[in-house]
Amino acid sequence: MELGSKTSKGKLVASGVIPFAFVILLIVYLFGSSGDLLDVGVSLPEVTIEKIDFVAGEIQATVRNTGHIPVEVVMADVNDRIQPAAIEPDRFLNRFETALVRIPFEWNESEPYTIGITTEDGTRFEKEIKAATQALKPSGELVGYFAIIGTYVGIIPVMIGLLWLPFIKRISKAKYNFFLAITVGLLLFLGIDAIEEATEVSAKFLAGSFNGILLIATVVILSFLGLYYSGNKLVKRADASPYAKPVALGLMIAIGIGLHNFGEGLAIGAAVGLGEVAFSTFLLVGFALHNTSEGFAIAAPMAKGKPMIGKLVGMGLIAGSPAIFGAWIGGFAYSPFTSIVFLSIGSGAIFQVAVAILGWIRKEDDKFLASASVVAGIAAGMLIMYITSILV
Amino acid sequence: MIIILVIAVMVSISYFIFPSISDAELEQKIFVTHSGAIVKTTGEILDPIYSVQTVDFDPDKFLREFNYGRVSMLEDGRTLREFTIIAEDDKTMEISPGIFYNVWTFNGTVPGPTIRATEGDIVRIKFINNGNKQHTMHFHGIHVAEMDGVFELVGPGGGQFTYEFEAGPVGVHPYHCHVMPLEEHIAHGLYGVFIVDPKEKRSPADEMVMVLNGFDTDFDTENNFYAANSIPFYYEHHPIQINTNQLIRVYVVNMVEFDPINNFHLHGNLYYYYPTGTNTVPSTYTDMITLSQTERGIMEFQYTYPGKYLFHAHKVEFSEKGWVGIFLVKENPANSLQGVEYGTWE
Repeated sequence: MELGSKTSKGKLVASGVIPFAFVILLIVYLFGSSGDLLDVGVSLPEVTIEKIDFVAGEIQATVRNTGHIPVEVVMADVNDRIQPAAIEPDRFLNRFETALVRIPFEWNESEPYTIGITTEDGTRFEKEIKAATQALKPSGELVGYFAIIGTYVGIIPVMIGLLWLPFIKRISKAKYNFFLAITVGLLLFLGIDAIEEATEVSAKFLAGSFNGILLIATVVILSFLGLYYSGNKLVKRADASPYAKPVALGLMIAIGIGLHNFGEGLAIGAAVGLGEVAFSTFLLVGFALHNTSEGFAIAAPMAKGKPMIGKLVGMGLIAGSPAIFGAWIGGFAYSPFTSIVFLSIGSGAIFQVAVAILGWIRKEDDKFLASASVVAGIAAGMLIMYITSILV
Repeated sequence: MIIILVIAVMVSISYFIFPSISDAELEQKIFVTHSGAIVKTTGEILDPIYSVQTVDFDPDKFLREFNYGRVSMLEDGRTLREFTIIAEDDKTMEISPGIFYNVWTFNGTVPGPTIRATEGDIVRIKFINNGNKQHTMHFHGIHVAEMDGVFELVGPGGGQFTYEFEAGPVGVHPYHCHVMPLEEHIAHGLYGVFIVDPKEKRSPADEMVMVLNGFDTDFDTENNFYAANSIPFYYEHHPIQINTNQLIRVYVVNMVEFDPINNFHLHGNLYYYYPTGTNTVPSTYTDMITLSQTERGIMEFQYTYPGKYLFHAHKVEFSEKGWVGIFLVKENPANSLQGVEYGTWE
């Protein structure tokens, strides 16, 4: 019996591995000499200028080979005028390899610049910057500045939103379900919003070879599944005590929103760092209004449990403070790829939270989506978010 | 399984997040560049002065090289000058350090050889087209219609045609391929200079040819590079050496495509300009002339003071893309007004 199971196990492994072996053989064959037969068409070089930094007396461009063939960077230009430059570590770029092109140039504040890179076959690639601004360097002052922005955008609005807790506590069950449904609406909106933002970053900054849209889809779904799985475990463990469950759900929401705010912080930090927006008070107000609803989303399930000020504040911090970290990273070490990944993680997390709350509503309300309060709540949530989003 | 997956994802993400953080310990090297800017780097320098160039084409040689052909006397006493010109269109030339471009050539170079004859000579050119496309030679000047190189297309893969005409009028003229699409054939490099000397010699001088040209390496109908004699910035880091108090004569031909005009500005001096070289009286005394496509002329000047003097397009975009050079004026050793004999008559 044992012997039999062993051989069948061996067969199982073999049957799983054999196709892989053939795939490897195929690859070896295609890359081997016989592959020449299939070389039709011309592979064109492609270089993407991912990032441009303006520092004292110098313009720095981070370039990446995003094509299918190795390239050699042989020239740099500013506004289509040839400029001497340095390239580090060296001018030969394999697929996906990056280099830093440093162009000594006395640039002028807030003027637009187009930076160009020419490869050995004479093809030129360029990127335009609308207004040159000194690259942000981590300094105490800036760290503080981003922390303040993060606080205004993340922590404070969430905390204000949490103040709805006593109100939610006092209302009837039907009304309570309405408010829970509002949070679902809010979250759905936020999730879609994050995807939209990620798509925008992808279109603007990410080379086509990274398949931005597919990257977003993959990360959103992975994030959703990962959090759904771990969230379920958390809630199950909390099942033991009747008071722990609302806390668990609230925590889940807080974590989801925190991930979302991290992505939002990244976007804000990046926008400031890249000189794309002057971060105005107006914008700050918009973000703050928008994010107040996030606190509400945490407060809604928590209202069912015992009042726990400490836990509530903790959740506010979990949900809000990632905006600060996001702003730091976005401002000082921007990478479009990271931005898209985190925006997508945030989006997946938010959807996961929405689904969890829907599950909770279902338990509370038999009619579920057929109930007027639930439908009205989701609709109201989305509309609130849409209207506040116009302000951002 | 999940942990492995997560780690794999993390590793692959961090690969993209932190693009090749290089070792900060590397030694910094200092480069003084063609623009005077100083670059300190642990990496490589991107500048024409420092980049290696395999010289397919030598602008120094081209500058003062005149081809007088195989000379013989005709029965009627006139001089016959025979040339063989071979067209090709499959060569790749390093037209700027590190940048390779498919040039179409007469006798293997862009520009093609400078053909020189005296007014009234018979010029006979055996033209062989070894390219993959049809090509011709079209000379600016006076000749019969059949020798105009427009309708008599010369087939690829060894097609032949013999152009024969009497050299004239006196001056400096371009020759180029005249096959459609014409702009493409010219922009790829099928052009050269044809000088017709007057029967009574011009005064002795240090003579040179400058073809103002450009290359559109990314095929967007805008030139990426400009130069005098093909190689951008060449005469800036290989200054043309001349002497004080010596007559300098430059045959300038503008072959730039795509841009409607080009120009020539000389520093620290002015020159007498003879448009098309057809007149013995200069049209102007200036330091700045403007040239349209195939517009050309002769410039004559001499320097009194030694030193380095720039010459460049005052359409500064062109000079910042390579059309800039330097005359290195040295004290005339003999300090005499004696010039270099022009033309080694055979």
